[in-house]
Amino acid sequence: MTITGLIGMLIVAIFFGLMIIFNVVRSGSKKARLRSISAFTKLKQAIGLAVEDGAQIHLSLGRGGVTSPQSASAFLGLSMMKQVMRIASAGDSPIVATTGNPALAILAQDTINSTSKEVNLNRRGESSEGKLAGLTPFSYAVGSMSSIRDDRVSANILAGWYGSEIIWLSEASERQNSFTLAGTAHLPAQAIMYATVGEPLIGEELFAGGAYLDAGSMHEASLNAQDVFRWVLVIGILIGILLKFAGFDQIIHNLLVGIQ
Amino acid sequence: MKLKFRAPLATTIAIAVGLVVLVGYFIPAAQTLRFIFLRMGIVLAAVALLVGVLNLISVHFRKISDKDSKGGYSLVLILALLATLGIGIYDMFKAHMYGNPNFEWMNWIFTYIQRPIETSLMAVMTVSLTCAATHLLRRKLNFLAIGFFIILLLVLMGTISLSMINFPILEDIRSWIIHVPALGGARGLLLGIALGTITTGLRIITGSDRPYEG
Repeated sequence: MTITGLIGMLIVAIFFGLMIIFNVVRSGSKKARLRSISAFTKLKQAIGLAVEDGAQIHLSLGRGGVTSPQSASAFLGLSMMKQVMRIASAGDSPIVATTGNPALAILAQDTINSTSKEVNLNRRGESSEGKLAGLTPFSYAVGSMSSIRDDRVSANILAGWYGSEIIWLSEASERQNSFTLAGTAHLPAQAIMYATVGEPLIGEELFAGGAYLDAGSMHEASLNAQDVFRWVLVIGILIGILLKFAGFDQIIHNLLVGIQ
Repeated sequence: MKLKFRAPLATTIAIAVGLVVLVGYFIPAAQTLRFIFLRMGIVLAAVALLVGVLNLISVHFRKISDKDSKGGYSLVLILALLATLGIGIYDMFKAHMYGNPNFEWMNWIFTYIQRPIETSLMAVMTVSLTCAATHLLRRKLNFLAIGFFIILLLVLMGTISLSMINFPILEDIRSWIIHVPALGGARGLLLGIALGTITTGLRIITGSDRPYEG
C-alpha cells in the first residue's frame, strides 16, 4: 500500500469513526441545534401548504448516475424525497419525481414504493411515481418542465446533479410562482441557481438536507464530523500560509512529492 | 416474511461490495476485485437504461391517452424513439452482414438532427441566462445580489472582444476576478462539497442511510 493510499484510508476511517462517536453521543439526547437555513424552513412551510391545499410536490432528482462521482447528490436527493414524502403523507395528492438517469429513476420508484408502504399511503386513483424525463441534459430539462408547469404542483424541489440546464427548470418554476428550492454539487449550476431560484442551497448545504428534514441522527452526526474536518482544513490552510511566508514552502512541496 | 429476509441480504451485499470498491482505491491488491464490481455495475446501469426507456415510453403513452395534456409532443417523441431504434438496428445489421461498421444512418441522425437541436437549445440557454442575470436585482435587492451583478458585468465586459469597448484594464480586472476571488471561493465551496460527499458516501456504504428498499 502506498503512503497516499494509507493517508486516504486513514481519513475515511477517522471520518467514519467521528460519525459513529457523534451518533452515539447524540442518541438519547434532544434534537441537535442546527444553524437556521431559510430554504429548509420555507420548504417545511411549503410542504404544509401543499398538504392543506391538496396540491402536488414535484421533486427533480437531477441526472447524476449512481456509478459516477455525481452519485452523492443523487442519493441525497433520494433521501430528501423520502423525508418529503413522510412529511407530506397526510396530503391527498401524490408526489411526482423526475430524473434524467435510468438507474436513478428505478431507485426513485423503489423509494416511493417503500416510503408509501412505510407511511401506509393507500391513495385511490393516482399514486406517486418516479419518471425518467429524458436521457440527455437538455431532453431531461425539457421533459421535467411539463411536470413543473403542471398547475397542480405548488412546490418544486430540485435536488441532485445538474449542469447549466438547471436555468430552464428554475425559470419555469419561478414563472409558475411555485415555491422553489434548489441544490446541487456542480459549481456553475450553483451560480445559476443563485441568480434564478428563490431558495438556493449554496456549497454543501444540499448535503445537510437530511439533517434539516429530520432524516435521522446519523445525518446530524455527519454534519458534526464535517465541522470537525472543516476546522482541521482551516487550521491546515492557515499553517500552510504561515509556512509559505516563512519560506518553508519548497521543503513541504518536496516532502509531499516524496510521499507520492 | 420474504421481504424481511430479502432486505437484510440485499443490504449486506450492497455494503460488502461498497466497502470492497472503497478499499480498492487505497489498496492495490483489492483493485482487481474493485474493477470487476465496477464493470458489473456498468452492465447493470446499461440494463437500467433499457428499463428507463420502457418507463419513458409508458409515461408518454399515458400522456397521449390523457385528453388534458399535450399528447402530440409525446406521440412525436415515441415515433422518433422507435425510428431511431429501427435505424440503429438496421445499421448494426448492415455492419455485421457486410462488415462495414460506419453506422452511416445513425451518424446522419446525430449530425443533422441531434446536434443542431442541442446547439440551438444552447443558444436559447445563453439568452435565458442573460435574462436571469437582469432579473436578479428585481428578485433580490441585497448586498450579495448587487455584488453578484457588478462582478458579472465586469467579467462579461472583460470577455467581450468588440473593438469599440475593448479596454485592457477590463481584461486585467476580469483575469484578477477569475484567478483570485472566484478561484478561492470555488475552492472553498469545493472543500465543503467534498466533505458532504464523503459523509453521504459513508452513510450509503454503511447502510445507515438507505432511502430505497433494495
